[in-house]
Amino acid sequence: MKPQLTLQTPLELPPQEISSYLSKLWISENEYSLGANTFSLVVWQPSWLEQCLVINDFINGPITGNLSQEIINTAKDLILKNRLPLATSLYSKKLIDILKKNIANDTSEDLRGQFFESSISTLNPRRLITLAPTLNEHAGIKTFVSAYCPLSDDSSKQPICGDLVVIRGGTQSIYSEGLELINKLSIEELPSWLWWNSSLDDSPEVFDFFLKSGSRLIIDTANGSIKRCLYVLNNALKSNKAINDLNWVRLKSWRESLAMIFDPPSRREILDHISDIDIDIEGEHVIQALFLISWISDKLNWRFKKINKGTDFTNVFFVRTNGEEIKISINPLPLGNPSIHCGQVIGLRLISKISKNPKQNTCIILGCESAECSRLESGGMADMHLIEEVVPNSLLPSEGDVSQLLRSSRGNTSPLFENTIKIAQEIYEAFH
Amino acid sequence: MNQSLSNPLRIGLRQERVIPPQCLIIFGASGDLTHRKLIPALFELFLQRRIPSEFAIVGCARRPWNDEEFRAKMSIKLEKQISKNEKEWLNFSKYLFYEPVDLQKEDDVIKLATRLAEIDKNQATHGNRTFYLSVSPNYYGSGCKALKKAGLINDPKKSRLVIEKPFGRDYSSAKKLNSIVQSCADESQIFRIDHYLGKETVQNILVLRFANTIFEPIWNRNYISSVQITSSETVGVEDRAGYYETSGALRDMLQNHLTQMLAVTAMEPPGKFDPEAIRNEKAKVLQASKLANENKPWECCIRGQYGKGGNFSNPLKAYRDEEGVNINSMTETYIAAKVFIDNWRWQGVPFYLRTGKRLPKRLGEIVLTFKDVPVHLFESTIINPSPNQLILRIQPNEGATFKFEVKSPGSGMKSRPVEMEFSYDESFGEPSDEGYVRLLADSMLGDPTLFTRSDEVEAAWKLYTPLIELMENAPWKLPICKYESKTWGPPEADQLLSKDNIFWRRP
Repeated sequence: MKPQLTLQTPLELPPQEISSYLSKLWISENEYSLGANTFSLVVWQPSWLEQCLVINDFINGPITGNLSQEIINTAKDLILKNRLPLATSLYSKKLIDILKKNIANDTSEDLRGQFFESSISTLNPRRLITLAPTLNEHAGIKTFVSAYCPLSDDSSKQPICGDLVVIRGGTQSIYSEGLELINKLSIEELPSWLWWNSSLDDSPEVFDFFLKSGSRLIIDTANGSIKRCLYVLNNALKSNKAINDLNWVRLKSWRESLAMIFDPPSRREILDHISDIDIDIEGEHVIQALFLISWISDKLNWRFKKINKGTDFTNVFFVRTNGEEIKISINPLPLGNPSIHCGQVIGLRLISKISKNPKQNTCIILGCESAECSRLESGGMADMHLIEEVVPNSLLPSEGDVSQLLRSSRGNTSPLFENTIKIAQEIYEAFH
Repeated sequence: MNQSLSNPLRIGLRQERVIPPQCLIIFGASGDLTHRKLIPALFELFLQRRIPSEFAIVGCARRPWNDEEFRAKMSIKLEKQISKNEKEWLNFSKYLFYEPVDLQKEDDVIKLATRLAEIDKNQATHGNRTFYLSVSPNYYGSGCKALKKAGLINDPKKSRLVIEKPFGRDYSSAKKLNSIVQSCADESQIFRIDHYLGKETVQNILVLRFANTIFEPIWNRNYISSVQITSSETVGVEDRAGYYETSGALRDMLQNHLTQMLAVTAMEPPGKFDPEAIRNEKAKVLQASKLANENKPWECCIRGQYGKGGNFSNPLKAYRDEEGVNINSMTETYIAAKVFIDNWRWQGVPFYLRTGKRLPKRLGEIVLTFKDVPVHLFESTIINPSPNQLILRIQPNEGATFKFEVKSPGSGMKSRPVEMEFSYDESFGEPSDEGYVRLLADSMLGDPTLFTRSDEVEAAWKLYTPLIELMENAPWKLPICKYESKTWGPPEADQLLSKDNIFWRRP
């Protein structure tokens, strides 16, 4: 459970009074109490699944915006009961639509915007704004406000305070009134971030508002259709908009582990002879696999050639500068208990053929667990020189990755990611 | 096999911390350190794209140069580095400015304040300033006072002071200097630099010890019999005679670089990776350190001075024949000392430290020798089985070697020593940054982890106080022993260890 950020219940005020209330809050007798000089963070926090589960009495309220293990387990049971594919996303519209069908009156207590992981709150955001759309699309807008002062472990440090605003209501009223309020609440001299904590297919008109605004974006392309995700990423690139993707961030351990294998100079030659790559993913959502392929091809200077798509496989072909072809297979695997992040990479195999004698060739296997490594060893891979690593996938909640981004990002799109997006888009276009 | 310099998959993966908008002011900009170390390190940071666009480097010295002259002088001095990156140098040199300043003249410092305000505005550096004192140590105190008086270091969040070694000449002068500097700036603003701590391999000692479970349980008096810390140079005094004659090996190397290596090797694990937690542990271990015999310091220290050496075709001058050196100089160019640490972990384990000029090899290393096995079951191919040794190589060929016994091939059961190697070059294939690159970036980022705190500096001076007092009051008790250039120091230094039945490692 995330800790509650405010000790007092936020004060409900009419939207038009929020700005003046906040400006008064920081004008006080003490010139130093001007609030943290850090950044503001807007969170799009629909928590559709949690809202449905609480309102349908599958779990107890209140609604907090916290993706708890109880919510995950209940959702997985419902996915099974409703005969949806096991790898169905917790943000899937299909799942939410099924749950919405029998929705009763919405009277649950809604505390969204009041609970934040300490990894985020200890960064002292100057202003935290939560957009909390309700299941009742026609609900009017309600706004709440409060100050907060996260306590540091270091007692010698004075607490640095910020404020917190919750804008709750139907999507329509958020779009028509809430976004206007966001403009008024922006602090020009501080960087502003938007964390889209939902599927990218959700409320595109609201998302597009932020795409056009000055905010730096944090999204998760594990949630949303591939077409929409790549569209969003490309649009951000074209408009020179800083964008960070948690799905790309989660790929970090794979990129790092693969790079580590080639750190010793004696292994560099293997890279010049890679002929085949296999990428195993959970379920059908191929975007993370596309990122991985695109990053490798970008770094090794390969040019995309063509794809060959079957019912249960996708083969992508690249060409090296010397004209040699590289075949990359993306293999979606059905798993009994898939991760909550769709399409996670679970295995990677690279085969480098330097000679006709298999013993002089190399097979590199990275698997998220030993069983996956064993799977990739099959087919006589042991005839080659085998290099294997287990790369466990991160079990961190998204908040951990978000706080890492807030802490370390330079505010622009990572150049590595920029190049990756361009190649991923090129491959995806060839799908059709 | 193709051994290209960089791993293509590694490019762009490291997330280096970005320096915030900043103005770095270097006092002593016409000196050696500026063009030999500081500007090359800053240029390297620029090449690594870690310098923000809102940046400025203001060189200050007494010479009446202007911005263009300063840029031209730096580009001549850095010719080699620039030749590979001419375009980048052109962009980088736009950040270079110069202001003639004599820190002793109030008007000059006031004029500097006006110039900095102007640069701050033009370069959008947000008032963040790092003042680097690369001047004669005699001016550290007055320099800080002048900066304080001009209001340049009043904001502890936006201004920092970097102070080069040597920080004081002995315990009392270091204490006095600390009190002056601390009266001008908050301790959090003061960055006392020791470039050894910027070395990747010195930092690796912390990772080796505290990120692995196998070392820490045996890193103590129960398993380790002795520790040797060596830093040797092949060069002589070169053109630094003026400075070296007043400092010598003790003040130039032993009190700072070697003692910092001792601290990092012997400190207790900190509770967290936090600057103060680490510096607390380093300070504690230095406070627990003492010369092996404080009452008779001459018994645990050897001083040396290099004599002639080389051969007919390449003769090497003796120290006393070097330009600028007193013909009767009693300055030591070599020093070896035996130290104990009075705490539970290290009680009774001797730490031997040695440093010198004109030794056969340029190297820095820490050698941990483990205790002998209780019973020798196997005959050794050499007389006795060698004790296990962990050798941490600070420079060159950075890495580590572990020496242990294995069965010698053949029908008998004899043991022989072998070495297990880790080499930065072989594992990573990329050169690590110079210490100054890391430390300049850290100071501008306000990260004090790798800088020495006032209590550490004082404890390090206090450790050698008996030696310094002896050298000043009764130097005949600690005579200067001659050694031939390009040999491993005076024979007396070997006796320091042979009394304990130990030998210096011949690297």
